[in-house]
Amino acid sequence: MKQNDYGKAGLCCRLLNGRLSAALLIGILLIPTGCASPLQNARNEFYSGSPDKAAEILDPNRKIAKRDRLVFLMERGLILHHQGLYKESTSTLLKASRLIERQKIINATRQVGSLVTSELLTEYKGEYSERLWVHTYLMINFLLMRNYEDALVEAKQALQVFERYPEALSDDFFTRGLIALCFETLGLNNDAFIEYKKLAELMLDPTPVARKLYQFGTELGFQEEADLYKKYMPAEEIGRVNKTPYAELVLFISQGKSPEKIPGNIVLPPSIRFSFPQYEDSESSFFNREIIDLSGEYFGDSISTDIGKVVRASFKKRVAGIIAKETARVAAKEVIAQKVGDESHLAVEIILRAFFFILEEPDTRSWQTLPARLTMIRLPLEQADQNMTISIGGEKRIISLSDEEIRSSRRIYRSIRVYN
Amino acid sequence: MNIVLKSFYIFLLISCLFIYTGCTVTTRSVSPDEELHYDEVYDFSDKQIIVKKLIDSLVTKQPLAGGNDRPVVIVYGVANRTSEHISTSGITDDIRQGLLESGKARLLNETQRENIAKETEHQFSGNVLAKTRIARGHQVGAKYMLTGTLRSIEKREPRQFRFKKKSLQYYSLNLELTDIESGLIEWSDKVEVIREASKPFIGW
Repeated sequence: MKQNDYGKAGLCCRLLNGRLSAALLIGILLIPTGCASPLQNARNEFYSGSPDKAAEILDPNRKIAKRDRLVFLMERGLILHHQGLYKESTSTLLKASRLIERQKIINATRQVGSLVTSELLTEYKGEYSERLWVHTYLMINFLLMRNYEDALVEAKQALQVFERYPEALSDDFFTRGLIALCFETLGLNNDAFIEYKKLAELMLDPTPVARKLYQFGTELGFQEEADLYKKYMPAEEIGRVNKTPYAELVLFISQGKSPEKIPGNIVLPPSIRFSFPQYEDSESSFFNREIIDLSGEYFGDSISTDIGKVVRASFKKRVAGIIAKETARVAAKEVIAQKVGDESHLAVEIILRAFFFILEEPDTRSWQTLPARLTMIRLPLEQADQNMTISIGGEKRIISLSDEEIRSSRRIYRSIRVYN
Repeated sequence: MNIVLKSFYIFLLISCLFIYTGCTVTTRSVSPDEELHYDEVYDFSDKQIIVKKLIDSLVTKQPLAGGNDRPVVIVYGVANRTSEHISTSGITDDIRQGLLESGKARLLNETQRENIAKETEHQFSGNVLAKTRIARGHQVGAKYMLTGTLRSIEKREPRQFRFKKKSLQYYSLNLELTDIESGLIEWSDKVEVIREASKPFIGW
């Protein structure tokens, strides 16, 4: 072969190698762009008031990518809960809980792969708050099914999550109140007192837990502490606090829709795109803050969590890590693009850069069937109370209580979801 | 064949061997007496150890040891105060079994009371031959009540730079035999199990 032929052959090889590398990379890049449409369809059905259809779409036999398994289990678990299928919901959420445990081991292969592709390639591990709320809904399910010991197990697991991420989850009053209730249900009043005390310290106004703190403080002999909270109680309540009501109704109320993650982008010409997830503005999560009205009279204790506030605080704790990883990803892609450009034709480099640009999508996966607000209301019941009408965000609901139910268990639980 | 090609074939062969041995399914039968732990959490081996020790203690100490009478005991179950979903009915069943086999006590079947009441009601409903019916009011009262609590304490290594994370799991089962008439605790014992596990941070 002549020298020119060798030169042409060499150019062809370089072009071919460059194209092959680009084609291989493009192929790898296309993998994480698998569509999450069954999840989105299920969410749309759920918020359209068709939880049955939503549950059908998220059939447990459906093939879901391993990386989306946790969000699938969380969505399905919550949809089943709101359908009243507490046993099935519990089974699903327990799977989610076990998956969260297994995910503590970092998958090195996927992490390295995501450095040149997208965070969507990695398994979704849930925000710190989402990991807590798996236990929250399990506690609610077990209480609704009257499995008080299992509810306590979940309460202890929720406490472990609180201990691991105290600042991120400090505004989740509902879950803390629920943990205290689980201790109280099994007569562990000392532990319940500790949790109510932590709650009082975290809340700006401890009035919702003052009654319990005064009651348990007095019973356990912590009179000084009990008297601290006496001032938050109306005078007529102080005399009534040790009087056991005929029964108690505990309502778990979910209102509205929690904020979703949306993509944010910073573009540095000519082709560097720095993308990151962020939570949407809370005003767009259609939460009606109308005060819960109970037939004009309301004597219960109410503890609420603003879910949007907690998810944002929880996400904020991860932001530094997200930015660091995104920076490393952008740098790695830039190095690859430059290498390909050096080895092959400019056109190949341009195509590769265009693909990197288009596929630089942030991980906006999240638990989207969560409500905007979770509230627990505890209402003392008199003997005659069997049907109650409550109005939540303008929606009226009737709660029927049977005699047998009240007699067999002096504390009755109900879970209600309203979408506005 | 040059060295590079040879090395490549050897690498390929070794990789195939690893894949073959890693991907084959193997099974083996495990003896119930074999102590087998995959991690630090409660498992069937722990249940066996705990129940055996407690039964041995219960039947060799007062009030069940020594006497010729076999007092009637009712087992009211073990409360789960751990942070894991552990079915304590398995522990209760094994305790009942162990007590029965020791011959030192007679046991009341508390879990079947509702079914017994249902069956008795049926026998006296008019559908059952009178001579085949049981006699009412002949159930035996228990002298002692056996109750217990399963507790756990978990300790994990604090955050630090390392490639493995250690955790320590402590379990204790307290069992008590209470005289129903006097309310006195006639026997009490405790078994503890402590295990440490080491898990990697990184996998594949």
